[in-house]
Amino acid sequence: MSDRRRDIVIETQDLVRHFSSGGSGRTVRAVDGVSLSVERGETFAIVRESGCGKSTLARLLLRLIEPTAGTVVYEGRDLSSLSPRQMRAARARLQFVFQDPFSSLNPRMTVGTLVGEPLIVHTGLSRSERRTRVGELLERVGLRAEHAERYPHEFSGGQRQRVAIARALASEPTVLVGDEPVSALDVSVQAQIINLMEELKSDFGLTLVVIAHDLAVIRHMSDRVAVMYLGEIVELAPADALFDAPGHPYTEALIAAIPVPRPGREEHGEALGGDIPSPLAPPSGCRFHPRCPYAVDRCTREKPMLETAGRGRLVACHRQKELSLAGVGAAVAAGANEKALRRFELYRQHAEGNAAGSG
Amino acid sequence: MSVETVEAGGRANGPANAGSGDGATVLRVSDLSVRFAGQPVDTIDGVSFTLSAGRTLCLVGESGCGKSVTSLATMRLLPEKAARITSGEARFEDRDMLRLSRREIERVRGDRMAMIFQEPMTSLNPVFKVGDQVAEAVARHRKVGRREARERALEMFRRVQIPAPERRLDDYPHQLSGGMRQRVMIAMALANDPKLLIADEPTTALDVTIQAQILRLMRTLQDESGAAMLLITHDLGVVADIADEVAVMYAGRIVESGPVETIFNDPQHPYTIGLMSSMPTLGAPKGRLATIPGSVPSPFEFPPGCRFATRCPFAQTRCFSEVPPFERNDDGHGWACWRTPIETIAEAGGHA
Repeated sequence: MSDRRRDIVIETQDLVRHFSSGGSGRTVRAVDGVSLSVERGETFAIVRESGCGKSTLARLLLRLIEPTAGTVVYEGRDLSSLSPRQMRAARARLQFVFQDPFSSLNPRMTVGTLVGEPLIVHTGLSRSERRTRVGELLERVGLRAEHAERYPHEFSGGQRQRVAIARALASEPTVLVGDEPVSALDVSVQAQIINLMEELKSDFGLTLVVIAHDLAVIRHMSDRVAVMYLGEIVELAPADALFDAPGHPYTEALIAAIPVPRPGREEHGEALGGDIPSPLAPPSGCRFHPRCPYAVDRCTREKPMLETAGRGRLVACHRQKELSLAGVGAAVAAGANEKALRRFELYRQHAEGNAAGSG
Repeated sequence: MSVETVEAGGRANGPANAGSGDGATVLRVSDLSVRFAGQPVDTIDGVSFTLSAGRTLCLVGESGCGKSVTSLATMRLLPEKAARITSGEARFEDRDMLRLSRREIERVRGDRMAMIFQEPMTSLNPVFKVGDQVAEAVARHRKVGRREARERALEMFRRVQIPAPERRLDDYPHQLSGGMRQRVMIAMALANDPKLLIADEPTTALDVTIQAQILRLMRTLQDESGAAMLLITHDLGVVADIADEVAVMYAGRIVESGPVETIFNDPQHPYTIGLMSSMPTLGAPKGRLATIPGSVPSPFEFPPGCRFATRCPFAQTRCFSEVPPFERNDDGHGWACWRTPIETIAEAGGHA
């Protein structure tokens, strides 16, 4: 944060969003004091536990919902200070890809209308120009121009996600926010969409913000990662650093919990005990303390602040300096079997050779 | 109609018997085929596998591959009018599940054969206390009094490590977290000491840290009880964690099966290889992910030959027209592909 030359596209300051829980008068702290800044051209990932208002943060970033407190600053301007018209213009540049492409695409509209709609709103293109542009966009995301005539239900999950991406691209965004953009997809299709998002990122100079729970997907895609627990950021670090040597016990536990596709691997460490506490009544002190294997008395009373812990890393843990936590190393270093790796490579060559051959 | 079943249906040859295979055979499914109303071909086509006591077989595949339909057919939970079993048998304790009467089936289900599903919220009745639901599952199959059934429920809550079990018995499902609900489901499934546990994506809806707890619990309970487990999952990480044997399904057929180490270290079928190589890993990223082009075809688009041919980077003319036989070697590793081992296929682009 000290480096003033960083080119920040989108930034949040002490962002808070509470919901009142139906009639009980209690408060769900879905997002509770989140400050982060996303640099231009990077892929910034936010990891959080499943459940509990997952997409709240994404919606706040796009001002689809209003924060209880705090601000979202986009290209140097506080989103809440924008007039409705300025907000519309900003929203064109801030686009969203949802988890479930079926519920995010109006089933009564053709794909052409869905992808063309932002062009009406955000560009001055004529009808026929829009038609051409829709065709280009569809082809850009790996569909065909004639798919414009079809309806969302005629497509598979992966194809629908391509449609959603084409629609997002139509308004020429600078930032694409993906809320679990691949988690509803099968592994093989997920890989197609991840590749596509990475291609588009470099072709269009996009900044990606990915909110997800799948650490392997995040590891593959991101430059920097923020780990959230019960509405708060507990660690923020460059992806390599975070995965190689986590700074927060929750990050360590997350990494340890991932089932790694390698049989016979020694169990590393204890499974994280306890349940995720209700966001209605987060624990005192450090919210992670009831589940933390390293918790000491202080953690139960005093809330740790998010503090600098080495290069580009922020950690909210009282014991950060004394702990040496296990990263991915142990789980992955063993390396997959040579024979299997050779076949993976052979498969990749053939799969790409064929894809290139078929255009 | 399918060549692969000839061998795969062979006696005592099922995947679960392959490895050390100390356990006795608990379930043997042979040549199971299912056709849905209005479909041109058997969607599930000649599926065979064997499950042994104390062992876990994972059925792996992507959505629509037929892994759930296979397990539902085995438990006779498919709607009979819409999904006709066109061939095969499912031998459980020397009786063919596919030919038992309704009443006989209901006696087996929830007793010696138990199920756990993905979303415990939909499998638990929201208006009854969870303790009563477990007690009821016991009372349905055992001649026990109310108090005894409740005691059994409490004992099961302890075994699945539900904290403060006495109090939890009187909770309603909505008062429990997802992880606790899944523990209740496991308690209910194991309450009558089943010989066979069928778990369909039991941890998919859970947070990853909770998933790790539940998988560990399931392994411990299986070690204690010696039950055979059929676990259905799309997650190869879960497979590596929990399976003894693996059967990979694609478009209604088992395309490869064998002991878990063999499947990961010596994958043969291009679909298995594609699936494994398209997964992002926790290691340092290495550029683009490999992909399996396209998506799973509908039964109307199945080629007459190998059903993976439409997406396979190695497919030749023959693959589209002739079903490859499922052949198994001495190590219990089997697969159905005309083109393996793929190392023998020349340079990339050598598309015949």
